[in-house]
Amino acid sequence: MVAAPVQDSPWVAVAIALILGTSGCAVVHAHERGHLAKRAMTSDRDPGEARFLEHERGAREGADGGTGQPGGGCGCN
Amino acid sequence: MRLQLTAGIVAGLVLALAAPASADGTLAVRGVYYKERATRVMQPMMDAIFDAGTHGIVTGHFLVDAITSASASSGAVNAVPFNELRYEAGAGYTHELGALTIGGDAKYSTESDYRSLYGGVRAQLELGQKNTVLGLGAGYSHDTVSAAAAQGPAMPTLRCDDAHPADPECPLDVYAVYGSVSQIVGKDTVVAATVDLSTLSGYQSNPYRSAIVGEVLVPERHPSERTREAFAASIRHYVAATGTTLIGAYRYYRDDWQVHAHTPELRIVQEVGRDMDAAVRFRYYTQDGAYFFRDRYPADSTAMSPYVTDDVKLSSFTGYTLEAKLGVLGEAFQLSGRWAGARFEGMLEYTAQHNRFGNAVIAHVAVTIPFEY
Repeated sequence: MVAAPVQDSPWVAVAIALILGTSGCAVVHAHERGHLAKRAMTSDRDPGEARFLEHERGAREGADGGTGQPGGGCGCN
Repeated sequence: MRLQLTAGIVAGLVLALAAPASADGTLAVRGVYYKERATRVMQPMMDAIFDAGTHGIVTGHFLVDAITSASASSGAVNAVPFNELRYEAGAGYTHELGALTIGGDAKYSTESDYRSLYGGVRAQLELGQKNTVLGLGAGYSHDTVSAAAAQGPAMPTLRCDDAHPADPECPLDVYAVYGSVSQIVGKDTVVAATVDLSTLSGYQSNPYRSAIVGEVLVPERHPSERTREAFAASIRHYVAATGTTLIGAYRYYRDDWQVHAHTPELRIVQEVGRDMDAAVRFRYYTQDGAYFFRDRYPADSTAMSPYVTDDVKLSSFTGYTLEAKLGVLGEAFQLSGRWAGARFEGMLEYTAQHNRFGNAVIAHVAVTIPFEY
Protein backbone atom coordinates (compact mmCIF):
# COMPACT_ATOMS: atom_id res chain seq x y z
CA MET A 1 0.00 0.00 0.00
CA VAL A 2 1.27 3.45 -0.91
CA ALA A 3 0.67 6.23 1.59
CA ALA A 4 -1.10 9.38 0.54
CA PRO A 5 1.18 12.42 0.30
CA VAL A 6 1.87 13.78 3.76
CA GLN A 7 1.09 17.44 4.29
CA ASP A 8 3.85 19.81 5.34
CA SER A 9 2.45 20.82 8.75
CA PRO A 10 5.28 20.83 11.31
CA TRP A 11 3.57 23.15 13.72
CA VAL A 12 0.67 20.82 14.47
CA ALA A 13 2.69 19.17 17.24
CA VAL A 14 3.81 22.52 18.64
CA ALA A 15 0.27 23.89 18.50
CA ILE A 16 -1.11 20.86 20.34
CA ALA A 17 1.52 21.27 23.03
CA LEU A 18 0.86 24.99 23.41
CA ILE A 19 -2.90 24.52 23.63
CA LEU A 20 -2.53 21.77 26.20
CA GLY A 21 0.24 23.53 28.05
CA THR A 22 -1.53 26.83 28.41
CA SER A 23 -4.93 25.38 29.20
CA GLY A 24 -4.25 25.12 32.91
CA CYS A 25 -0.87 26.13 34.23
CA ALA A 26 -1.87 26.39 37.90
CA VAL A 27 1.13 25.55 40.09
CA VAL A 28 0.92 22.02 41.49
CA HIS A 29 2.83 21.83 44.76
CA ALA A 30 5.23 19.04 45.64
CA HIS A 31 2.87 17.37 48.11
CA GLU A 32 0.20 17.18 45.41
CA ARG A 33 2.33 15.24 42.94
CA GLY A 34 1.80 11.70 44.16
CA HIS A 35 0.14 10.68 40.90
CA LEU A 36 2.67 12.55 38.76
CA ALA A 37 5.51 10.59 40.41
CA LYS A 38 4.16 7.23 39.29
CA ARG A 39 6.36 5.28 36.90
CA ALA A 40 3.96 5.51 33.96
CA MET A 41 3.64 9.29 34.43
CA THR A 42 7.37 9.92 34.28
CA SER A 43 8.87 7.44 31.88
CA ASP A 44 7.45 3.99 31.38
CA ARG A 45 10.34 2.86 29.20
CA ASP A 46 13.73 1.74 30.45
CA PRO A 47 16.81 3.15 28.68
CA GLY A 48 17.58 -0.16 26.96
CA GLU A 49 14.03 -0.59 25.73
CA ALA A 50 13.88 2.96 24.37
CA ARG A 51 17.29 2.57 22.72
CA PHE A 52 16.28 -0.64 20.93
CA LEU A 53 12.99 0.84 19.71
CA GLU A 54 14.82 3.88 18.35
CA HIS A 55 17.39 1.69 16.60
CA GLU A 56 14.70 -0.56 15.14
CA ARG A 57 12.78 2.41 13.74
CA GLY A 58 15.97 3.81 12.26
CA ALA A 59 16.43 0.56 10.34
CA ARG A 60 12.84 0.39 9.06
CA GLU A 61 11.56 3.96 8.68
CA GLY A 62 12.75 7.04 6.83
CA ALA A 63 11.85 9.44 9.63
CA ASP A 64 14.74 8.47 11.87
CA GLY A 65 16.13 10.84 14.45
CA GLY A 66 14.30 13.45 16.40
CA THR A 67 14.72 11.66 19.68
CA GLY A 68 17.51 13.69 21.17
CA GLN A 69 20.70 12.40 19.62
CA PRO A 70 21.86 11.12 16.26
CA GLY A 71 21.98 7.42 15.60
CA GLY A 72 24.67 5.42 13.87
CA GLY A 73 26.27 2.06 14.10
CA CYS A 74 23.58 0.34 12.12
CA GLY A 75 25.35 -0.66 8.94
CA CYS A 76 21.99 -0.40 7.21
CA ASN A 77 21.84 3.07 5.70
CA MET B 1 37.88 3.28 21.86
CA ARG B 2 35.59 0.56 23.14
CA LEU B 3 38.16 -0.21 25.81
CA GLN B 4 38.34 3.47 26.76
CA LEU B 5 34.60 3.67 27.17
CA THR B 6 34.48 0.44 29.13
CA ALA B 7 37.16 1.91 31.38
CA GLY B 8 34.98 5.01 31.72
CA ILE B 9 32.04 2.92 32.83
CA VAL B 10 34.18 1.05 35.34
CA ALA B 11 35.60 4.34 36.64
CA GLY B 12 32.08 5.68 36.98
CA LEU B 13 30.96 2.62 38.88
CA VAL B 14 33.98 2.87 41.19
CA LEU B 15 33.16 6.54 41.75
CA ALA B 16 29.57 5.64 42.47
CA LEU B 17 30.55 2.89 44.87
CA ALA B 18 32.72 5.38 46.76
CA ALA B 19 29.72 7.66 47.32
CA PRO B 20 27.88 8.14 50.65
CA ALA B 21 25.89 5.26 52.12
CA SER B 22 22.56 6.77 51.06
CA ALA B 23 23.37 6.36 47.38
CA ASP B 24 21.56 3.89 45.19
CA GLY B 25 21.20 2.74 41.63
CA THR B 26 19.85 0.11 39.30
CA LEU B 27 21.30 -2.54 37.04
CA ALA B 28 19.11 -3.72 34.17
CA VAL B 29 19.69 -6.79 32.03
CA ARG B 30 17.58 -7.15 28.89
CA GLY B 31 17.36 -9.57 26.00
CA VAL B 32 15.63 -8.73 22.72
CA TYR B 33 14.64 -10.99 19.85
CA TYR B 34 13.68 -9.35 16.56
CA LYS B 35 12.39 -11.19 13.49
CA GLU B 36 11.25 -9.89 10.15
CA ARG B 37 10.96 -11.53 6.73
CA ALA B 38 14.67 -11.40 5.90
CA THR B 39 16.42 -10.49 9.14
CA ARG B 40 16.77 -11.88 12.66
CA VAL B 41 18.46 -9.96 15.49
CA MET B 42 19.28 -11.06 19.02
CA GLN B 43 20.47 -8.33 21.33
CA PRO B 44 21.55 -8.86 24.94
CA MET B 45 22.24 -5.60 26.77
CA MET B 46 23.09 -4.22 30.18
CA ASP B 47 22.27 -0.75 31.57
CA ALA B 48 23.54 0.70 34.84
CA ILE B 49 22.42 3.89 36.62
CA PHE B 50 24.17 4.84 39.85
CA ASP B 51 24.33 7.85 42.15
CA ALA B 52 27.77 9.47 42.24
CA GLY B 53 28.01 11.66 45.30
CA THR B 54 24.97 13.67 46.36
CA HIS B 55 24.42 15.53 43.08
CA GLY B 56 25.70 13.25 40.35
CA ILE B 57 24.38 10.29 38.37
CA VAL B 58 26.53 7.95 36.28
CA THR B 59 25.04 5.84 33.50
CA GLY B 60 26.59 3.16 31.35
CA HIS B 61 25.48 0.53 28.88
CA PHE B 62 26.89 -2.28 26.82
CA LEU B 63 25.17 -4.38 24.17
CA VAL B 64 25.80 -6.90 21.42
CA ASP B 65 23.74 -7.16 18.23
CA ALA B 66 23.82 -10.58 16.59
CA ILE B 67 22.36 -10.03 13.13
CA THR B 68 21.45 -12.78 10.68
CA SER B 69 20.05 -11.49 7.43
CA ALA B 70 19.23 -12.72 3.98
CA SER B 71 20.98 -9.60 2.74
CA ALA B 72 23.46 -6.98 3.88
CA SER B 73 21.57 -4.66 1.59
CA SER B 74 18.34 -4.79 3.62
CA GLY B 75 16.24 -6.93 1.32
CA ALA B 76 17.55 -5.51 -1.92
CA VAL B 77 17.27 -7.19 -5.30
CA ASN B 78 20.91 -8.32 -5.26
CA ALA B 79 20.66 -9.93 -1.82
CA VAL B 80 23.51 -12.03 -0.39
CA PRO B 81 23.12 -13.76 3.02
CA PHE B 82 25.31 -12.52 5.87
CA ASN B 83 25.90 -12.76 9.63
CA GLU B 84 27.32 -9.95 11.71
CA LEU B 85 28.04 -8.86 15.26
CA ARG B 86 27.79 -5.27 16.44
CA TYR B 87 29.14 -4.06 19.78
CA GLU B 88 28.07 -0.83 21.46
CA ALA B 89 29.16 0.80 24.71
CA GLY B 90 28.15 4.13 26.20
CA ALA B 91 28.60 6.17 29.34
CA GLY B 92 27.14 9.39 30.69
CA TYR B 93 27.21 11.70 33.65
CA THR B 94 24.71 14.31 34.90
CA HIS B 95 25.26 16.78 37.72
CA GLU B 96 22.62 18.73 39.60
CA LEU B 97 23.31 22.39 40.36
CA GLY B 98 20.12 23.46 42.11
CA ALA B 99 17.44 24.05 39.48
CA LEU B 100 19.93 23.41 36.71
CA THR B 101 21.13 19.96 35.70
CA ILE B 102 23.95 19.53 33.21
CA GLY B 103 25.32 16.39 31.65
CA GLY B 104 27.15 14.69 28.85
CA ASP B 105 27.39 11.28 27.29
CA ALA B 106 29.41 9.31 24.78
CA LYS B 107 28.73 6.19 22.75
CA TYR B 108 30.81 3.98 20.50
CA SER B 109 29.49 1.31 18.16
CA THR B 110 31.48 -1.00 15.92
CA GLU B 111 30.75 -3.74 13.40
CA SER B 112 32.68 -5.03 10.43
CA ASP B 113 31.50 -2.35 8.02
CA TYR B 114 30.36 0.52 10.26
CA ARG B 115 31.86 2.44 13.15
CA SER B 116 30.18 5.28 15.01
CA LEU B 117 31.46 7.58 17.74
CA TYR B 118 28.97 9.93 19.40
CA GLY B 119 29.37 12.67 22.02
CA GLY B 120 26.72 14.97 23.43
CA VAL B 121 25.97 17.57 26.09
CA ARG B 122 22.66 18.61 27.61
CA ALA B 123 21.17 20.95 30.20
CA GLN B 124 17.86 20.98 32.02
CA LEU B 125 16.29 23.87 33.94
CA GLU B 126 13.42 23.55 36.41
CA LEU B 127 11.12 26.55 36.76
CA GLY B 128 7.98 27.44 38.75
CA GLN B 129 8.51 25.02 41.63
CA LYS B 130 9.46 22.34 39.10
CA ASN B 131 6.15 22.68 37.27
CA THR B 132 8.02 23.58 34.10
CA VAL B 133 11.17 21.85 32.87
CA LEU B 134 13.16 23.15 29.91
CA GLY B 135 15.78 21.03 28.18
CA LEU B 136 18.46 21.80 25.62
CA GLY B 137 21.06 19.50 24.10
CA ALA B 138 23.49 19.04 21.26
CA GLY B 139 25.42 16.11 19.86
CA TYR B 140 27.92 15.14 17.23
CA SER B 141 28.67 11.76 15.75
CA HIS B 142 31.37 10.67 13.35
CA ASP B 143 30.62 7.48 11.46
CA THR B 144 32.79 5.47 9.09
CA VAL B 145 31.21 3.24 6.45
CA SER B 146 32.86 0.51 4.36
CA ALA B 147 31.81 -2.56 2.36
CA ALA B 148 33.84 -4.92 4.54
CA ALA B 149 31.00 -7.45 4.76
CA ALA B 150 30.85 -7.85 0.99
CA GLN B 151 31.26 -11.34 -0.48
CA GLY B 152 34.29 -12.01 -2.66
CA PRO B 153 38.08 -11.97 -2.53
CA ALA B 154 38.50 -8.17 -2.42
CA MET B 155 36.63 -5.48 -0.55
CA PRO B 156 34.83 -3.15 -2.97
CA THR B 157 35.71 0.53 -2.89
CA LEU B 158 33.06 3.18 -2.31
CA ARG B 159 32.28 6.37 -4.15
CA CYS B 160 32.31 8.79 -1.20
CA ASP B 161 31.90 11.88 -3.39
CA ASP B 162 33.24 13.33 -6.63
CA ALA B 163 36.62 14.01 -5.02
CA HIS B 164 36.86 10.47 -3.59
CA PRO B 165 35.40 8.13 -6.23
CA ALA B 166 37.05 4.89 -5.01
CA ASP B 167 37.93 4.89 -1.31
CA PRO B 168 37.93 1.84 1.02
CA GLU B 169 35.73 3.71 3.52
CA CYS B 170 33.69 6.91 3.68
CA PRO B 171 32.89 9.30 6.56
CA LEU B 172 29.49 10.49 7.73
CA ASP B 173 29.19 13.39 10.18
CA VAL B 174 25.99 14.15 12.07
CA TYR B 175 25.32 17.36 14.03
CA ALA B 176 22.18 17.54 16.14
CA VAL B 177 20.49 19.97 18.51
CA TYR B 178 17.26 19.53 20.41
CA GLY B 179 15.02 21.41 22.80
CA SER B 180 12.23 20.22 25.05
CA VAL B 181 9.67 21.58 27.46
CA SER B 182 7.41 19.74 29.88
CA GLN B 183 4.63 21.38 31.85
CA ILE B 184 2.51 20.08 34.70
CA VAL B 185 -1.04 21.22 33.98
CA GLY B 186 -2.80 19.55 36.89
CA LYS B 187 -2.39 17.00 39.69
CA ASP B 188 -2.88 14.22 37.17
CA THR B 189 -1.67 15.65 33.88
CA VAL B 190 1.63 16.61 32.29
CA VAL B 191 2.31 17.70 28.70
CA ALA B 192 5.58 17.88 26.81
CA ALA B 193 6.96 19.02 23.47
CA THR B 194 10.30 18.49 21.73
CA VAL B 195 12.01 19.89 18.67
CA ASP B 196 14.97 18.08 17.08
CA LEU B 197 17.14 19.31 14.25
CA SER B 198 20.02 17.41 12.69
CA THR B 199 22.20 17.72 9.66
CA LEU B 200 24.09 14.85 8.05
CA SER B 201 27.09 15.26 5.81
CA GLY B 202 28.88 12.40 4.09
CA TYR B 203 28.20 8.92 2.74
CA GLN B 204 24.54 8.01 3.21
CA SER B 205 24.04 5.18 0.72
CA ASN B 206 24.09 1.45 1.46
CA PRO B 207 27.38 0.10 0.06
CA TYR B 208 25.78 -3.24 -0.90
CA ARG B 209 22.55 -2.04 -2.46
CA SER B 210 21.88 -1.35 -6.14
CA ALA B 211 18.99 0.27 -7.96
CA ILE B 212 17.46 -1.09 -11.16
CA VAL B 213 18.21 1.38 -13.93
CA GLY B 214 16.84 0.21 -17.24
CA GLU B 215 17.87 -3.44 -17.34
CA VAL B 216 21.03 -3.16 -15.22
CA LEU B 217 21.93 -2.75 -11.54
CA VAL B 218 23.60 0.53 -10.59
CA PRO B 219 25.19 1.10 -7.16
CA GLU B 220 22.97 3.21 -4.96
CA ARG B 221 23.82 6.92 -4.85
CA HIS B 222 22.19 9.15 -2.24
CA PRO B 223 22.81 12.88 -1.74
CA SER B 224 25.66 13.55 0.68
CA GLU B 225 23.78 16.24 2.61
CA ARG B 226 20.55 15.85 4.57
CA THR B 227 18.77 18.11 7.06
CA ARG B 228 16.15 16.52 9.29
CA GLU B 229 13.56 18.09 11.61
CA ALA B 230 11.19 16.45 14.07
CA PHE B 231 8.49 18.02 16.21
CA ALA B 232 6.73 15.99 18.89
CA ALA B 233 4.12 16.53 21.57
CA SER B 234 2.76 14.25 24.26
CA ILE B 235 0.28 14.23 27.11
CA ARG B 236 0.12 11.89 30.11
CA HIS B 237 -2.98 11.68 32.27
CA TYR B 238 -3.52 9.53 35.35
CA VAL B 239 -7.04 8.30 36.13
CA ALA B 240 -6.93 7.80 39.89
CA ALA B 241 -10.25 5.96 40.12
CA THR B 242 -8.99 3.05 38.02
CA GLY B 243 -5.20 3.33 38.37
CA THR B 244 -4.89 3.92 34.64
CA THR B 245 -2.36 6.11 32.86
CA LEU B 246 -3.29 7.35 29.39
CA ILE B 247 -0.43 8.51 27.17
CA GLY B 248 -1.00 10.20 23.83
CA ALA B 249 1.79 11.33 21.54
CA TYR B 250 2.19 12.75 18.09
CA ARG B 251 5.35 13.29 16.04
CA TYR B 252 5.85 15.12 12.78
CA TYR B 253 9.03 14.68 10.74
CA ARG B 254 10.35 16.30 7.58
CA ASP B 255 13.67 16.55 5.77
CA ASP B 256 15.13 18.12 2.66
CA TRP B 257 14.97 14.82 0.77
CA GLN B 258 11.22 15.57 0.94
CA VAL B 259 10.40 12.73 3.28
CA HIS B 260 7.52 13.71 5.58
CA ALA B 261 6.06 11.49 8.28
CA HIS B 262 3.23 11.53 10.81
CA THR B 263 3.30 9.26 13.87
CA PRO B 264 0.37 9.28 16.31
CA GLU B 265 0.59 6.91 19.26
CA LEU B 266 -1.60 5.87 22.18
CA ARG B 267 -0.49 3.91 25.24
CA ILE B 268 -2.53 2.70 28.19
CA VAL B 269 -0.80 1.55 31.36
CA GLN B 270 -2.99 -0.22 33.91
CA GLU B 271 -1.96 -0.88 37.50
CA VAL B 272 -2.85 -4.42 38.57
CA GLY B 273 -2.62 -4.49 42.32
CA ARG B 274 0.47 -3.15 44.08
CA ASP B 275 3.12 -5.18 42.30
CA MET B 276 2.09 -5.37 38.68
CA ASP B 277 1.25 -3.21 35.68
CA ALA B 278 0.13 -4.06 32.18
CA ALA B 279 0.39 -1.84 29.14
CA VAL B 280 -0.82 -1.81 25.56
CA ARG B 281 0.29 0.49 22.77
CA PHE B 282 -0.94 1.36 19.29
CA ARG B 283 1.28 3.34 16.95
CA TYR B 284 0.48 4.40 13.42
CA TYR B 285 3.12 5.53 10.95
CA THR B 286 2.88 7.07 7.51
CA GLN B 287 5.53 8.66 5.33
CA ASP B 288 5.87 9.84 1.77
CA GLY B 289 8.87 9.09 -0.39
CA ALA B 290 12.11 10.91 -1.08
CA TYR B 291 12.07 13.03 -4.22
CA PHE B 292 14.50 10.72 -6.02
CA PHE B 293 12.92 7.37 -5.08
CA ARG B 294 11.59 5.19 -7.92
CA ASP B 295 10.70 1.49 -7.98
CA ARG B 296 12.57 1.25 -11.29
CA TYR B 297 14.54 3.94 -13.01
CA PRO B 298 14.35 4.47 -16.77
CA ALA B 299 17.54 3.69 -18.63
CA ASP B 300 18.50 7.32 -19.05
CA SER B 301 17.69 8.36 -15.45
CA THR B 302 21.30 8.61 -14.26
CA ALA B 303 21.83 11.22 -16.91
CA MET B 304 18.75 13.10 -15.67
CA SER B 305 19.42 12.79 -11.92
CA PRO B 306 22.64 11.96 -10.07
CA TYR B 307 20.74 10.02 -7.37
CA VAL B 308 19.30 6.50 -7.49
CA THR B 309 18.17 4.35 -4.57
CA ASP B 310 16.70 0.98 -3.72
CA ASP B 311 16.10 1.97 -0.07
CA VAL B 312 12.64 0.91 1.11
CA LYS B 313 12.89 3.52 3.87
CA LEU B 314 12.81 6.23 1.22
CA SER B 315 9.57 4.99 -0.39
CA SER B 316 6.02 5.99 0.45
CA PHE B 317 4.37 3.56 2.88
CA THR B 318 2.26 3.13 6.00
CA GLY B 319 2.46 0.83 8.98
CA TYR B 320 1.27 0.24 12.50
CA THR B 321 2.56 -1.30 15.70
CA LEU B 322 0.74 -3.17 18.45
CA GLU B 323 2.50 -3.83 21.74
CA ALA B 324 1.67 -5.55 25.01
CA LYS B 325 3.86 -5.32 28.10
CA LEU B 326 3.73 -6.77 31.59
CA GLY B 327 5.83 -5.58 34.53
CA VAL B 328 5.96 -7.42 37.88
CA LEU B 329 7.88 -6.60 41.06
CA GLY B 330 9.76 -9.36 42.87
CA GLU B 331 7.42 -8.98 45.88
CA ALA B 332 4.72 -10.65 43.83
CA PHE B 333 6.88 -13.80 43.72
CA GLN B 334 7.53 -13.64 47.50
CA LEU B 335 11.14 -12.62 46.87
CA SER B 336 12.97 -10.77 49.63
CA GLY B 337 15.83 -8.30 50.01
CA ARG B 338 16.81 -6.33 46.93
CA TRP B 339 15.02 -8.90 44.77
CA ALA B 340 11.71 -7.83 46.30
CA GLY B 341 12.16 -4.49 44.54
CA ALA B 342 13.45 -5.99 41.31
CA ARG B 343 11.23 -5.42 38.29
CA PHE B 344 10.65 -8.24 35.80
CA GLU B 345 9.34 -7.30 32.38
CA GLY B 346 8.10 -9.06 29.31
CA MET B 347 7.07 -7.31 26.12
CA LEU B 348 5.72 -8.45 22.76
CA GLU B 349 5.48 -6.14 19.78
CA TYR B 350 4.04 -6.72 16.32
CA THR B 351 4.76 -4.28 13.51
CA ALA B 352 2.94 -4.39 10.19
CA GLN B 353 4.58 -2.44 7.41
CA HIS B 354 3.16 -2.12 3.90
CA ASN B 355 6.40 -2.34 1.96
CA ARG B 356 9.12 -4.86 1.01
CA PHE B 357 10.39 -5.16 4.60
CA GLY B 358 7.11 -6.81 5.58
CA ASN B 359 5.99 -7.40 9.15
CA ALA B 360 8.13 -7.85 12.25
CA VAL B 361 7.84 -9.43 15.69
CA ILE B 362 9.89 -8.23 18.64
CA ALA B 363 10.08 -9.81 22.09
CA HIS B 364 11.81 -8.36 25.17
CA VAL B 365 12.53 -9.92 28.55
CA ALA B 366 14.23 -7.83 31.22
CA VAL B 367 15.01 -7.60 34.91
CA THR B 368 15.96 -4.38 36.71
CA ILE B 369 17.67 -4.82 40.06
CA PRO B 370 17.88 -1.95 42.57
CA PHE B 371 21.03 -1.42 44.66
CA GLU B 372 21.71 0.54 47.83
CA TYR B 373 25.17 1.12 49.16
